[in-house]
Amino acid sequence: MVYYITTLLVYGGVDAIACLGLSQQFGIAGVTNFGFIIFQAAGAYAAAVLSLPPDSANGGFQSYIGGLQLPFPLPWIGAAIVGGLLAVPFASIVGKRLRGDFAAVGLLVTAVMFNLLVTNYQPFLNGAAGLSLVPSPLQGSINPLSEGYQWGYAAVAVLLALLTYLFVAHITKSPYGRTLRAMRDNDVVADSLGKNLRSLRTSSLVVGGAIAGLSGGILVGFINLWDPQAWGYAETIVLFAAVIIGGLGNHRGAVLGAILVPLAFEEATRYIPPVPGDPGLIPALQWVVIGLLIVVFLWVRPQGILPERRRVILGAAGGPATAALAAPGASIVDDAALLPAISASAAPLPVRLRAGPYGGAAILECVGLGRSFDGVRAVQDASMSFARARLTGIIGPNGAGKSTLLAMLAGTLRPTEGRISYRGEDITSLPAYRRARTGLVRTFQLASEFKRLTVMENLITAIPGQRGESFRGALLGRRYWGAQERDAVDRAREMLERFGLLELGDRYAGELSGGQRRLVEIMRSLMAEPEVLLLDEPMAGVHPRLAHQIGEQLVSLTHAGLTVIMVEHELSIMDAFCDPVIVMAEGRVLAEGTMSVLRANAEVVEAYLVG
Amino acid sequence: MSLFIASIGFGLITAAVLALAAVGFTLQFAVANVLNLAYGGVMIVSAYAAYVVNEQGVSVWVAALAAIAAGAVISLILNGLVYRPFQRRGTSSAAMVIVALGMTLILVFGTQALAGPTNVSFSMSQGATLQAGSFQLTVAQVAIIVLSLVTMIVVHVVMRYTRLGKAMRATAANRDLARNCGIRTDRVVTLTWLGTGALCGMAGAVFGMDAGTFGATSTDLFLVLILAAVFLGGPGQPYGAMLGALVIGLATEISAAFIVPDYKYVVAFVILLGMLAVRPTGLLGARA
Repeated sequence: MVYYITTLLVYGGVDAIACLGLSQQFGIAGVTNFGFIIFQAAGAYAAAVLSLPPDSANGGFQSYIGGLQLPFPLPWIGAAIVGGLLAVPFASIVGKRLRGDFAAVGLLVTAVMFNLLVTNYQPFLNGAAGLSLVPSPLQGSINPLSEGYQWGYAAVAVLLALLTYLFVAHITKSPYGRTLRAMRDNDVVADSLGKNLRSLRTSSLVVGGAIAGLSGGILVGFINLWDPQAWGYAETIVLFAAVIIGGLGNHRGAVLGAILVPLAFEEATRYIPPVPGDPGLIPALQWVVIGLLIVVFLWVRPQGILPERRRVILGAAGGPATAALAAPGASIVDDAALLPAISASAAPLPVRLRAGPYGGAAILECVGLGRSFDGVRAVQDASMSFARARLTGIIGPNGAGKSTLLAMLAGTLRPTEGRISYRGEDITSLPAYRRARTGLVRTFQLASEFKRLTVMENLITAIPGQRGESFRGALLGRRYWGAQERDAVDRAREMLERFGLLELGDRYAGELSGGQRRLVEIMRSLMAEPEVLLLDEPMAGVHPRLAHQIGEQLVSLTHAGLTVIMVEHELSIMDAFCDPVIVMAEGRVLAEGTMSVLRANAEVVEAYLVG
Repeated sequence: MSLFIASIGFGLITAAVLALAAVGFTLQFAVANVLNLAYGGVMIVSAYAAYVVNEQGVSVWVAALAAIAAGAVISLILNGLVYRPFQRRGTSSAAMVIVALGMTLILVFGTQALAGPTNVSFSMSQGATLQAGSFQLTVAQVAIIVLSLVTMIVVHVVMRYTRLGKAMRATAANRDLARNCGIRTDRVVTLTWLGTGALCGMAGAVFGMDAGTFGATSTDLFLVLILAAVFLGGPGQPYGAMLGALVIGLATEISAAFIVPDYKYVVAFVILLGMLAVRPTGLLGARA
């Protein structure tokens, strides 16, 4: 009975550690690594060959590399290191811009292939038979079969699970964790806000891999054997099921999932007596139940038992604005008073602008820029230069290539021809996140908020150069990034206040109305400390009165040095704020000038009427 | 040299089985936009359906009809009850992979729970061995190749010359546009699952004949071959899948003859991962 309980505790600890690693990688960073199990396997093998004696000295009945006979706890540390290192090449698969399901298939197949190779190549890790007689930690000084040792092992496993929990919780609550969640919600947008997706994904894979490796090391020290059967693709599905059922993005949920799925279904039921005459029935039914659990849970409760917690930042501070809005006796002159409005329009918005050292008149230029999609030329031969500190408008009928042009300027799309220069430097091949870091910031035509981040978090995420945004910064903790974070919160609150949206600060951005989401996006781009702001139909769905207030604010920001390039359909906005205006049609630049000049241009009028 | 020629024979049979499976898989992806990783599971359930009929003394070639029916019905249910509802809700493609893997567990281990863990075999005659030099095939193997060829021609005719085929291609290219043009896309999708399910069932029966013995988990690795063939030709491209099946079938069997049989799948893995890394739209695909 003692052994049953201690075995369950060790398995529980190991499963919890593995699920926490997956929770960090998949639930927080959104990296769907269907090869996750091979990191646990790598850790187990590593711990085994680090603690085993050389294979020739071990009776010679199994062959393996290594055999270093290292003392505890070096094999466990080695397990974590091997798990982490193995993740590095994986980053190149996940880093590619592949459809989610294609990447998932690639990783799943990689895991199956590793298994096949280890199974068939016997000299490496003893092939299909696997490694056995793996020494238990400290077995020279304590008898591993004694009850005391068993309890001790269980305690260590549970303690390490607790430490793993504290570790992932620690990095998740940092700005680094917030940026990972932003990447999970919308990687293209995170990229356009200056977040280095490749390094974020690599760090997530390495952290998850190291945690999984550790779990493998702990397991193999307890069960003393490890073979390819222990890490089939189905085991990965079990871990995913655990994290999904527990609650994606919630580390406590991952622990709960680990207890419910792998522990309760795989291990605890191991001791159900087999059905007479059909020993395979119970294990087969277990798998069926796990499959059912996955599908049913994803349908009935996709957020899991313990859903991701909303990060409340403003708390009660968000309240008064709501109260003021609905205060009895407040004279409501017209309905518009209920709309969000930019308060005290005279004062400029609290935007930190970047001013590069470049002094030329045209801050952004493109020459002969073109982009084809499967032979369709969305933009061709676009040459234009954008004057510093001006609000340039781009208009044109649908399909004129405006958004494609903007995406190329921001680096979201690679041009198929032509060159782009920014502050006099060629940036044609500079990736989007690096352009954003130099102050070239864009917004998107389609809704692009980070849905499962609150409005406040959406805004704060955009701030460049956060100390706690790197993995190292996250490790150093609140003492390292706390002061800067408080400043960031203040800035975001001020911005929200000015847009009259303070009461929405703690809401999930995904819950807002279309117009409100547009505003979040505009505010977010302003938080990104732009030098050049590329806005793709920022006013679509925004109340006309508010749109004009935003326009006024943008103009006053240009007086402070900001350059704005704005694609917009609303001609009254163009009339009021944009000078010059560029007209595009059928992928080409048609004309450029002030709106009054353009209105007199027959070709422009025709393009609009025909388009 | 004789080993090489003999391995070509094996390669052609593998390619024949693979083509039946891969064309169905790739059409499901094209029209329904889902990577149905439960495909191997449906294949094996269908093979068992044929086995049950075959056990009653019916010829395996007739019993294959049961596999075809089973494949069609299960695929229809799989789409109607699982994939379609999830897609309507806007489930991400990566989450759909998890759903498909969950369904795989249900199908494969449900079969194992019913049929037991031991492998089964069809009772069938391989027929005489036809020999040309060191190239040799049994009558049954020739029949499999002919069946696959005929099926490929039928797929070609349906896709190219029938209203359904045109509707399928239109739906694959742009479902919303197709619907706005008056194509009843839901019906097209349903018919696609019916047809591809039948292909899947046929592939399952033929897989069982070719493998000699099979168990509930036998198609786990075969699914990798299917994926390799599909991604080599370009996901969603039926002709690409046929080409991919031929290449993968020959490549695995020839490498099995000359390297080590244990590693024959590795060739398929390497091709699949290479395609995903370099050109995920496949040799014949352009659509990203």
